[in-house]
Amino acid sequence: MKRHSRQGGGIERQKARWGWGFVLPALVFFGLFSFYPIFNALYMSFFKKNLLSLAPPQFIGIGNYAFLFRSPEFWNSLKASAIFTACTFSLLVGVSLLLAVFIVSRKHIQKLMQMAFFSPAVVSSVVAASVWLLIFDPRGLGNQVVNAILQTPGVDHRWLASATMLRLSTVLVYFWKYVGYFTIIYIAGLSSIPRTLHEAARIDGASSWQDFWYVTFPLLKPTTLLVSVVSMIQCLRTFSTQYVFTQAGAPRGPIDVITLSIYNTAIRDHQIGRASALSIILFGIMLLLSWGQFRISRSEDVSYL
Amino acid sequence: MSVISRSSLQNPGSGGRLPVAPRSHLTTVVIWAVLGGMALYVLAPLVFMLTASFMPAKDVMRMPYPWIPRGLHWQNFWQAIRGNDGSFVYVRNILNSIIVATAITVSTVLLATLTGYGLAKFPFKGSKAVLLFIVATMMVPFQAVMIPLYMIVTNMGLQDSYGGLILPFLVNAFGVFLMRQYLLTFPDEMLDAARIDGAGELQIFWRVIVPNSWPAMATLAILTFRSQWDNLIWPLLVVQREEMKTIPLYITRFASEKYTDEGAMMAAAVIASFPMIVLFIALAKYFVGGAKLFAARKG
Repeated sequence: MKRHSRQGGGIERQKARWGWGFVLPALVFFGLFSFYPIFNALYMSFFKKNLLSLAPPQFIGIGNYAFLFRSPEFWNSLKASAIFTACTFSLLVGVSLLLAVFIVSRKHIQKLMQMAFFSPAVVSSVVAASVWLLIFDPRGLGNQVVNAILQTPGVDHRWLASATMLRLSTVLVYFWKYVGYFTIIYIAGLSSIPRTLHEAARIDGASSWQDFWYVTFPLLKPTTLLVSVVSMIQCLRTFSTQYVFTQAGAPRGPIDVITLSIYNTAIRDHQIGRASALSIILFGIMLLLSWGQFRISRSEDVSYL
Repeated sequence: MSVISRSSLQNPGSGGRLPVAPRSHLTTVVIWAVLGGMALYVLAPLVFMLTASFMPAKDVMRMPYPWIPRGLHWQNFWQAIRGNDGSFVYVRNILNSIIVATAITVSTVLLATLTGYGLAKFPFKGSKAVLLFIVATMMVPFQAVMIPLYMIVTNMGLQDSYGGLILPFLVNAFGVFLMRQYLLTFPDEMLDAARIDGAGELQIFWRVIVPNSWPAMATLAILTFRSQWDNLIWPLLVVQREEMKTIPLYITRFASEKYTDEGAMMAAAVIASFPMIVLFIALAKYFVGGAKLFAARKG
């Protein structure tokens, strides 16, 4: 030790010790509050355990999964999550790309527009849900606007009552809150494309449509991929809008997304094991999506020249 | 691969330029129609929230919606704070939200910076594995671990307490990753100079790293504070007592109570949003910067 301390090795070793010291608190934290719980969820998913009873958990093998796969409620949850995610995700990706392209084409209003579209992300999701609750009231702005456009005065479109409209309502709230967020990611992506490429395209006689379709769009692929996966995973995690709407009296069935189902299974039905199995299924779906993204992004990395 | 660079953090608002070619009138009309329509869709609910909070309930639900309050109906705010049962518990709930979100923000920023510093500047055997371990936890969605976390917290007897509300969020993987990426480009000369001057490693962290990392720290702080201000699901699990509830729980209950009047409901929403709106106006570039950093997550 003494012999080494004057050489590089000693300093390296000391640095290594400090390095461990710096990362140790976080490492312990992640171990206890991220890794242990996910393995615990996996473990508990093979047990029958009631939240309120003091009886020890009872091993039932894949009983919880078997129960879920036979339960119509589970398939309904999966369907509700899939519909919500597919609709919200495609709207988010499509519209935020369009908005980003339009906004950067109008340089002088870019800052203003960016702020305007981002502003809903500032209010919390519960506030957003409660504002939209009033908009979707039979007397609310939702009916007023739609009736003005469709020229159908006095019609109630049952925003919070009919299954299809209720699903659409939750999509509209979520899309409203996050469209600005993804627009900004796209604007960042757009600004990383060297302008010389656009100039070259223009000199070669490309119209602005061709410039978008043959230059901008292909080079935006990494951004599109990122936005897709991030928004998909985020949509799968949605909870607040659905929870607030059902608390306010909307029917649960059409919007009983997986997260809501986990909550109700654990807290209302006290079925900890079954809720854990649901959690593991949700985790599996998200892992699959991330893995898919990783695979695609590897094969499709673009470089500017 | 995009990497978070110091310059991109310092100028989160800057954007590239695209050459603007002459466009047809039709294109111009379409662009403005889309931007205008979307701006209406995005801003109208916020304007509705603000204007409705100053109107008596019968105006809020009038068809067509009047948009301009005829006077300032302050009773809404009084009603929102008083609650339908006159318990004034909203005041306590606001305080709880501030305490919890602030504690989590401070702890996240400090721990993320410390860990990111260790990973960026102290290459040790296994540091790659540690980084991988931490980044892997980003894959774990909170909704998948909330039930085990709930069991842990109740077993520790931390229901209905600040400890229980704060504990699972002391630091997050994204924060560590962000600070590591940022500190990778921190000049080593500054650290070595401090070492030659005889500063200890902890001193260097406090006196050199922390004061020079504020752009990244501020972005992380805003992100963390915002997401905690918005946290509904965790307090829903661990809190039963009204006095320990946070703002999202109060709003949810208030909005679903039969006697709540619509104006008061919007007043409660405005009160809940007020701190975030002030932060947004003062620090807009860090909000937007946070969204952009998300794009850098890929690296």
